[in-house]
Amino acid sequence: MKLESRHWTFFGLAVVVVIAMLSGFQPEITVSPDTLRMHEYIESLPEGSKLIISFDHEASSLPEIRPLAVALLRHAFSKNLRLIGIALLSEGTGVGYGLMQQVAAEYSKEYGVDYVYLGFKPQYIAAILSMGQSIPATFPEDYVGQPVDQLPLMTGVETYDDLAGVISVADGSLTTHWIEYGGGQYGVRVSAFGTAAMVTTYDPYLNSDQMYAMVGGLRGAAEYEKLIEIGGSGARGMLAQTCSHLYVILLIVIGNVLYFVSRRKGRSS
Amino acid sequence: MRRKVPQFVCALFGILLFALYFSSHPLARALSQLVLVEYWQIIFAFTLLVGVVSFLKVNLKSIERGEDRPYRIVSLMGLLSMPIVAFFWGIKGGTPFMWIFENIQVPMQSTVFALLAFFVVSASFRGFRARSVSASVLLVSALLTLLARSDVGGLLSEHLPVVADWVRNNPSMSARRAILIGIGLGSVTTSLRVIVGIERTWLGGKQQ
Repeated sequence: MKLESRHWTFFGLAVVVVIAMLSGFQPEITVSPDTLRMHEYIESLPEGSKLIISFDHEASSLPEIRPLAVALLRHAFSKNLRLIGIALLSEGTGVGYGLMQQVAAEYSKEYGVDYVYLGFKPQYIAAILSMGQSIPATFPEDYVGQPVDQLPLMTGVETYDDLAGVISVADGSLTTHWIEYGGGQYGVRVSAFGTAAMVTTYDPYLNSDQMYAMVGGLRGAAEYEKLIEIGGSGARGMLAQTCSHLYVILLIVIGNVLYFVSRRKGRSS
Repeated sequence: MRRKVPQFVCALFGILLFALYFSSHPLARALSQLVLVEYWQIIFAFTLLVGVVSFLKVNLKSIERGEDRPYRIVSLMGLLSMPIVAFFWGIKGGTPFMWIFENIQVPMQSTVFALLAFFVVSASFRGFRARSVSASVLLVSALLTLLARSDVGGLLSEHLPVVADWVRNNPSMSARRAILIGIGLGSVTTSLRVIVGIERTWLGGKQQ
């Protein structure tokens, strides 16, 4: 196989990422106002407040989503918030359940009392609208098949009015539906932990206060880990991300230098 | 008749759901709950069935013709094995279904997703050129954002993150808002066209 320029760029990126990950060096993280707002929001909630954590993501984005979700769950459990896990994308179902169990065990939280997992509901718009009218009717059973009315945490939870808010852990545009249908029609406070690629999508909603707060990407996870003072894979991955950003910048500069040199040569000849 | 009945059902439910969305009457809420929780889920189950049957037909035909045979056999094995495993052992944590999901599907999907980084690198090197004024503006914005989102942005200059945030909160957000408003207006227009029967392509077949 003849190696072309793109193959060398691929190889270069792989080398940069591997060296960065092996070095173990962790750069100093500056916390952005967006991440700080989310942290302050969770801090401001009284003990025992009930929050929906919606795992609205696919398996493909797990390397970016996992550090975000773990940081959120650690903070929420450490503040003794009571969490109701759901999933509006099927692939997030098992992942969400596993993450909640894992972090709940770290804080000795009891299933049914401190957290519940209601599982997956297909047709996200229908599910969000339906929960606005009755959460127990939308999820009559939890993920493990127990009737919802037998779970102590769900006592008194009928609609969004009985909750402090919804936090969507998402890799796509599903949070938009939470904002438009959950927030728009039922007035529930919507926040999100999302992938970096989706941050600008939600800027208009953040700016207009339709969405309360957002933490985005691996950088957001690293910032949140710094705020809660518990290290995680967000901070570990930041050096690799920074180095790959610098590598892309270097390639763009080289590409443009080559472009202008070839253009000048073309003119002179 | 084959076109008029679905068109009528579509118009009826379009108007009904539109009206229910804005009503807080208990009857409207109960009806809305029934449509959203029960009917919508049933329709979803049928669409899933249509998708699975279509996937099976396309792949079986291609296997018969010998097109990409190994890949299609693997696809069909995946499609058939997951429901079988789920049927016998369930889908909760610790079951073979979740083992396959966590150890095969998650790594495969993450790998494919990670390939995007390599394509972005290659595309940046080959395509991000200052060929015109507008391309140069895009290039400078991209470089600013990349620098600001990595940790070196603030080290190079304290103004760099501020400028990058300005780009994100002003030109970028304005463009995003324009797109969102366009999508909203487009959705409303298309929905109205479907409900009143002007738009009939969703029925398939020839326009009549």
